[in-house]
Amino acid sequence: MTAETAALVAPREAGRRISFGWLWSGALLVLLTFLVIYPVAMLVLGALTNTNPVVDGFGIYDLSLKNFITVLGNPNVHFALANSLIACGGGTLLAVIIGLTFSWVVVRTNTPCKRFIAAVSMIPLFVPPLVAAVAWSILASPKTGLLNTMIKWVGIDFRFDVYTMGGLIAIFGIYYAPYVYMFTASALRNMDPALEEAAEISGATPVRILFTVTFPLIAPAIISGMLLSFIVMLGIYGIPAVLGAPGDIPVLTTYIFKLTNWSPPLYSTAASVAIILMIVTGFLVFLQQKVVSGRSYITVAGKAFRPGVMNLGPWRYLTLSLAVIYLIVVVVLPTLALIVAAFRKFLFIRSVESLFDLKQYSLIHFERLFDNPLAVRSIWNTMEVGLITAVFGGILAFAIGYTVHRTNAAGRRSIDVISTLPVAIPGLVIGVAYLWAWIGLPGGLYGTIWILALAFIARFMPDTIKALSTSLLQIHKELEEASWICGKGLLGTIRTIVLPLARPGVIAAMTLLFILAIRELGSSLFLYTSNTMVMAVLLLDYYEGGNVGITSAFSLVQTLLLAVLIGIAHFLSRGGADTSVGRAG
Amino acid sequence: MINILRSFAHKRESSSFFSWLWVPAFAGTSGLVALALGAWLAPAAAQFGPLELIEAARQEGKLVFYSANVAESETPVLNAFNKRFPFVKIEFLRAPGNQLLQRVKTEAAAGKLLADVIDHSDRALMREIENIFQDYAPPNATDYIPETLVSPKLWPRSTVVWSIAYNSELLKNPPKSWLDLTKPEYANKQIGQVIAPSGGTTWTRAMFERQVVDPNYWKKQAATAPVLFPSNAPTSDALVRGEIVIAPLLYNAIFPKLRDGAPVKVFFAPEGAPVTPFAAGIPKTAAHPNAAKLFLNWCLSEEGQAMMIREIGNLTSLKVAPLYPEGFDPKIVKVWVPNYEQFVELQREWLDEWNKTYGYRQ
Repeated sequence: MTAETAALVAPREAGRRISFGWLWSGALLVLLTFLVIYPVAMLVLGALTNTNPVVDGFGIYDLSLKNFITVLGNPNVHFALANSLIACGGGTLLAVIIGLTFSWVVVRTNTPCKRFIAAVSMIPLFVPPLVAAVAWSILASPKTGLLNTMIKWVGIDFRFDVYTMGGLIAIFGIYYAPYVYMFTASALRNMDPALEEAAEISGATPVRILFTVTFPLIAPAIISGMLLSFIVMLGIYGIPAVLGAPGDIPVLTTYIFKLTNWSPPLYSTAASVAIILMIVTGFLVFLQQKVVSGRSYITVAGKAFRPGVMNLGPWRYLTLSLAVIYLIVVVVLPTLALIVAAFRKFLFIRSVESLFDLKQYSLIHFERLFDNPLAVRSIWNTMEVGLITAVFGGILAFAIGYTVHRTNAAGRRSIDVISTLPVAIPGLVIGVAYLWAWIGLPGGLYGTIWILALAFIARFMPDTIKALSTSLLQIHKELEEASWICGKGLLGTIRTIVLPLARPGVIAAMTLLFILAIRELGSSLFLYTSNTMVMAVLLLDYYEGGNVGITSAFSLVQTLLLAVLIGIAHFLSRGGADTSVGRAG
Repeated sequence: MINILRSFAHKRESSSFFSWLWVPAFAGTSGLVALALGAWLAPAAAQFGPLELIEAARQEGKLVFYSANVAESETPVLNAFNKRFPFVKIEFLRAPGNQLLQRVKTEAAAGKLLADVIDHSDRALMREIENIFQDYAPPNATDYIPETLVSPKLWPRSTVVWSIAYNSELLKNPPKSWLDLTKPEYANKQIGQVIAPSGGTTWTRAMFERQVVDPNYWKKQAATAPVLFPSNAPTSDALVRGEIVIAPLLYNAIFPKLRDGAPVKVFFAPEGAPVTPFAAGIPKTAAHPNAAKLFLNWCLSEEGQAMMIREIGNLTSLKVAPLYPEGFDPKIVKVWVPNYEQFVELQREWLDEWNKTYGYRQ
């Protein structure tokens, strides 16, 4: 190739790259429009009218802000909003304290039995909120809670009460701590200890290093985990429904559910409340991006390192006992409560002696559960939809995350904003918007597993991208540049450099997506059909049927299945983490 | 039979004869099978529809059933139907009342209504969409109480009744009437009450309390500070666990626990038993209309209704009930069905009042 032809080819090559960039961004934007914009537009339309767009057609709208004005002036909405913010704010604070402490204990200290602690610490994430709430109402309801029965028996004059704001905050905090844990543990594992070592040499105490070096370094992970846990709490229905109702503590989700169950259902008002929720969350997302932007959080670079482990000396038994207490509170006690409920014929427990009366226990709830052919079918359907969602959602999230954070592709800001949008929409309301949006599509999408998977991919896209982005943000650009210099193309670089380094993050994100998909109830409610029943819907059905026994039995089955699958994912993820650290040199 | 014998005889003689005679022979065999099927189904035919309907349902082989009833209530009914007609596979979809209706409306508008039968607890809401249903009446249509029917296309497949339940291990001085539930001795969160705006059944109960028991019933009961629940299910669960000790409950919500030996007792109070007849129909677009008709015919038959009373704790809208739930004496307890016009007209205003009286935020 002569110099002239090279000069001619270079702009052509650059032009081709630019047009490919446009094409790529365009394709992503079209996909996001279908998955996000179109259903959200339906939701907004629903909020601005009193009609069902599918039933009443698209031409006869009477657009007005009446629903918004009514909702904004309603003191009950103010009360529910205030309760939501208090419960989720308090819960998030607790989740950060627990999650951060725990990830530090597991990753950066020499506390014994770390692997066991790490594995079990994720279990709360697998428990559906409805089940967690039921388990805690069995444990700590003021009148008949098992814990209260126990302490009464011992003679202590104290009663737990989960039917209070404090109870709500505590349950939110302990159950959503894994979100913070997941983000911060991964960041702590991947961070460069050079700055910590420098601080240590400069004579800083371990506690000071922790608060002035370590935690600020992993700030994006902390903020991401915090934000995600706050937003997830904001959209949770099961916990406030079970624990808030007896104490008359309405939150936005229970209020929305109430509106959709009002006779006749007020979907338009519910959509207006949902849009208020979207605005609150959107503001938080904006805030998070403001905090994160303009600062470098690159801690994974082209140098070999392995984060140091702090020798706690005899104090390591204190951290171990803290972890054990946490495990007992979060995992052991609720699981025991579920086991008692699943195997006991009735949950009427008069005294401690009656709790140990073996005549009261049987397999009747499990027998009834598996007598129902829908139970087995729902398990298969759920696994199928979870797998499809995790694989396709993971790929899409990686594509979006990479485009937004690692390329200069045109329209990447829009892609970022649109893909973050679903985080703000509660599942209870977006479910009906998905139905409105997609039922009329030509082809046989409605009535298949794929429509559920599409809804889950769209709904959990922000969570997946956030989980992935933490890993992507930490990889220094120099590694990709080195690859390009060595002659690798874009796809080759992604395959050999980015993916292996981000593998723990990718697998964590896919695992998260799988778990979220398996537990998701709100958006399934309108999209499942008699052939595509999923576990979460059947679980709600059993709960609504008032049978805590079968509900608990089914929850145990679901938890067990998830634990096995998560165990496999955790194993894969850990392998990835080891590999990435090894290759970083 | 002669045809069959003849065909066998010819078969032995010559295969060419067989090839000529197999058509009448097959016809004869089919006739015999049909005869046998007819004989087997004869008692069923009279009760559940003509033989052609049953045969057509067999050909269709399945139906899709949408219901607002929980799976635990519907499963025994579907199993009992399948015991009678094993050749109709039922695909069951359950959703809470209003969500079910939203789904039905949207599916119907998009031309993708999958249901062959829909059963819903709110007759008023079902009547609003009666144009999506086809003409249908069961063979025993005249046996039904006219007041329970809101449209000639919709039938009270399910009829649920309110009872009063209490935890027999914890309560030694049980109430004996609806009015007793306003007594101060049951104050301080002993009573559990399902909120009136929960749905059609609770609205019926609230109407009954005010129109039949006492015009000031709500005010008096609210003074006892009852615990409010969003629906029957968590209320019945709380009652068994002892979180509350007394609760007005739909009999079918507490029946499974009662049957399994839970520490509860249930009675029907002398002032009356408010009932809510549901509305069930067959959409015009049903892909399996014959299976749907057979299913509804069976459900609405005396056999079907008796089964629902016995196995899931329902009542019936038949003029002459085949049986009553245990403890329900029709000579003492009068069934109370709300006036349909009032049921629709008073709803919004009275429920607002109920919410204010009980301090329930809507």
